[in-house]
Amino acid sequence: MTTSSSTRSWATPGRIAAIIAALLGVVLLVLIFTNVNQTQALFLGLGVGALIAAIALSVTLNYQGSGVVNFAAGAIAMYGGYVYYGLRVNGQLFLPPLPNPLAPIEGIVHLAGNKSFNLPNIPVFITLAHPGAGSSSFGTIIRQPAMPVWLALLISAGVLAILGLLFHLLIFRPLRNAPVLAKVVASVGLFIIMQAIVVLRFTSSAKAVTSILPTSPTHLPRGVTLPSDQLYLVGIVVLVTLGLWALFRYTRFGLATRAAAENEKGAIVLGYSPDFLAGVNWVASTVLAGMFGILAAAINQSLDPITITLLIVPALAASLLGRFNSFIVTMLAGLGIGMLSSWIQYLSGQSWFPKAGGQPIPGLTQALPFVIIIIVLVLRGKSLPTRGSVETVKLPFAPRARGAVPTSLIGGVAVAVILFVTSPDWRLAIVNSLVGVVICLSLVVLTGYVGQISLMQMALAGISGFTLSKIADAHHIPFPFGPILGAVAAVAVGLIAGVPALRVRGVNLAVVTFAAAVTIEQMVFANPAWSGLKGAIVAPPRLFGLKFGPNDSWSKLFGGGEGLLPNPWFGVFCLVVVILLILAVVNIRSSRVGRHMLAVRANERAAAAAGVSVSGTKILAFGVAAFIAGLGGALSGYRFGSVTADYFGAIPSMLFLAFAYLGGISSVSGAVVGGIIVSGGILTTFMSHVLGIPETYTLFLAGLGLITMAIFNPKGVAGALRDSGHAIKGRLGRGTTPKADAEAEAGVHAKVGA
Amino acid sequence: MAILSSSGLTVTFGGKNAVESLDLKVEQGQLVGLIGPNGAGKTTTIDALTGFVPARGVVTFDGKEIESQSSTQRARGGLGRTWQSSELFDDLTILENLQVAAERVTVGGFIRDLFKPRNDDVSELMAILASLDLDHSAHLLPTELSHGQRKLVGVARSLAAKPKVLLMDEPAAGLDTEESQELGTRIRGLVDGGLSVLLIDHDMGLVLTICDYLYVLDFGQLIAEGTPAEIRADEKVIGAYLGQRHAEGENDG
Repeated sequence: MTTSSSTRSWATPGRIAAIIAALLGVVLLVLIFTNVNQTQALFLGLGVGALIAAIALSVTLNYQGSGVVNFAAGAIAMYGGYVYYGLRVNGQLFLPPLPNPLAPIEGIVHLAGNKSFNLPNIPVFITLAHPGAGSSSFGTIIRQPAMPVWLALLISAGVLAILGLLFHLLIFRPLRNAPVLAKVVASVGLFIIMQAIVVLRFTSSAKAVTSILPTSPTHLPRGVTLPSDQLYLVGIVVLVTLGLWALFRYTRFGLATRAAAENEKGAIVLGYSPDFLAGVNWVASTVLAGMFGILAAAINQSLDPITITLLIVPALAASLLGRFNSFIVTMLAGLGIGMLSSWIQYLSGQSWFPKAGGQPIPGLTQALPFVIIIIVLVLRGKSLPTRGSVETVKLPFAPRARGAVPTSLIGGVAVAVILFVTSPDWRLAIVNSLVGVVICLSLVVLTGYVGQISLMQMALAGISGFTLSKIADAHHIPFPFGPILGAVAAVAVGLIAGVPALRVRGVNLAVVTFAAAVTIEQMVFANPAWSGLKGAIVAPPRLFGLKFGPNDSWSKLFGGGEGLLPNPWFGVFCLVVVILLILAVVNIRSSRVGRHMLAVRANERAAAAAGVSVSGTKILAFGVAAFIAGLGGALSGYRFGSVTADYFGAIPSMLFLAFAYLGGISSVSGAVVGGIIVSGGILTTFMSHVLGIPETYTLFLAGLGLITMAIFNPKGVAGALRDSGHAIKGRLGRGTTPKADAEAEAGVHAKVGA
Repeated sequence: MAILSSSGLTVTFGGKNAVESLDLKVEQGQLVGLIGPNGAGKTTTIDALTGFVPARGVVTFDGKEIESQSSTQRARGGLGRTWQSSELFDDLTILENLQVAAERVTVGGFIRDLFKPRNDDVSELMAILASLDLDHSAHLLPTELSHGQRKLVGVARSLAAKPKVLLMDEPAAGLDTEESQELGTRIRGLVDGGLSVLLIDHDMGLVLTICDYLYVLDFGQLIAEGTPAEIRADEKVIGAYLGQRHAEGENDG
């Protein structure tokens, strides 16, 4: 383990706070003395700044308490907003989908032919109060809120506290000694679940929210006017920060939590169990984020499942500035980021602001946190805190694949036959899964083999897709050079984002890549000069006159089939690409580079002492993974005939890490499983077409599967299959005994704490 | 000209010198011991020589000053090391552990391997394993071996890189007396075959028996140096070890 005792003395939280404050002060003074409008714009960012600060405080609190960097903190804030909304407006508390023990009985009776048989369902909402009488004005019915504000707030706080406790007990306590990747994946799972529940219960369209705090305009000096609720919100966040600061500085509880963050034994010495501390901090951080979500939604007067959720990115930047331990720096950074974003927003409305496609260059506000994160990482380098807890489980074992060539050829022929005999829905599902396999393969190389957590692979795929559309197609670069050009562009961007990542590892790398994905999504994909509403068109692939785009008519080679789109030959094309990539990734594992990659993953110091270039190996992995992801992006562009911003970017990147992890992140067979379970792939089509589970539930189930897998089976589905395969072989009396084999593999994961 | 030497080597942790102004030399084909009580700065010295902690002072290896080189560059130049807790790559077999140290990656080689991975010649590595009685374990994982065998694999891995100088950090720690003596014979055999070694160990019996020359550290400072016979008689060394002279020949790991 590297000891980071050589912390650079000038980069203390206090100094950084002073620098931020000084910089902000200078900017403010200049602005206030020059332009009232700009000052106004700056101050209008206070509201969102307070919310960013609150989410960041929640992240820091979680990190101190349990060593988890909670990517779901923004989602929790959003969820809190909806809990309050449901109570206040409808008097109903909404529940997540719960398994109904009666459902199978009902299903059997239905199968037996009695379709009208119905057993009680688990309720979706618990009604606590009824909306008041509606009054009609201007043709719309305005109803009285069902519940007074104070009661709705109180119940919301209670619900959030219970949620926080459940998160701790059900998810993060079982993961306390798990590898960083498992914790990241679990918090990604939580993110997906919370968003999925809200979409299931309230749909994804925005809700109008009434204000809670007084909104009368407040007049500040020099003609700046601000709704007073923004100032109240800032006041509350400052008070909360001071409270946390005092709690952590002056109480035994706070001291024990800080001790636990450094070294869990320290807390035990102080008479607190780290487990208890983690639980309390989870409750506190969940209530904190959720309550601010409620207040901020009221200020925006609108609530949707995305906006607040994505504030996790600036919040992570703020937490990083506060080194995940200083509440005051974190709060100031959060407010500062909010104000700067609002100011940039104002500037982009000015006539002199650089334009793209007739509109101001987009995404600069979203790029701000990324820029801040990179600057912090470059200045601070490796002295970022890593928590001193004992990791007892490592990344799953990366086996050498045996018999990959015959297996993939037989599998390939089987899939090709299926492509020609199934219905269009299933063909599309197979194509979606094949594209998914490609993205998962890129994560197998980067995360599975080298242990680098990337939350930007779909963004890199998108870079390739947009390059294919906007550069290759525009200049009539023919297939296959177009997709290769796209993949090369993805490599370029992947390396730019990967180089700063050489300075960090573990969860910090996840933060960097996530911020990079958001930036790429907002600046490139959502750039009107690149995409527009319909996305960027991708011309179908052609080679020597052969047409194998998904929308090309069936070739005459085979007479059969119903002739409906997508063209199975496109599926065959994807299949060929997938098989070539599978064999290449298998070859990487069994060649010199693969051994060097696994050496770096296992132990960077020992690898360096063995003459392995650690940064060279990582860079190579970033490049190879970006190239593979780029090919996936090109395939995906061909599949839809276009590339769109929401298919690529931050949240899809998060989802794909999840799918790859779920399948089995460290083996090629895991990538194949990952491809099968991606949304729109074979599994979800099976669920919707055969089992009758609506597609709206797939995200929820994916999140649930993710958390379950992170806790119970970090080897992924493929690893579990391999284990049971060994066990069956052993029972049949061939090969090694299952016990010795299981022990051997269990031994691989057991690591004596250094 | 010594193959490895340091002059004024100083390592500072949080304002305190863990190693202070250390001058040491390893001559070609010599087995040099570095001993001292716990916390004396022995491992820190190896870390500094191999570039794993920042240090001041001059380090000369094979006729070149190497302070500005990274750990990887030093290792590739022929400055090998082993670790106290063997630090094997747990996901790779024993043979693969050795291959990592023996093989270099090039871009051309990587691209060729994508299409058809080479069957690298492992006969030399198998010979190294055989010389340490590890050839039967070549295809096992490190976690399937005993502690003593893992330490030997650590040594084998460092030998696989064909080092000019090998810095060994407590290779005998945790071994029983018999294993320890056997290891001592093997290390001596390597040195007699031309390798230069800097050996840290707690087992005074082992060190005093097999080394050609000794350095003694206490609290980061060199308190004595000389041949084993001179060190045995040195008052300061006896003081630092508080009468541990009686423990000679026993295992005080």
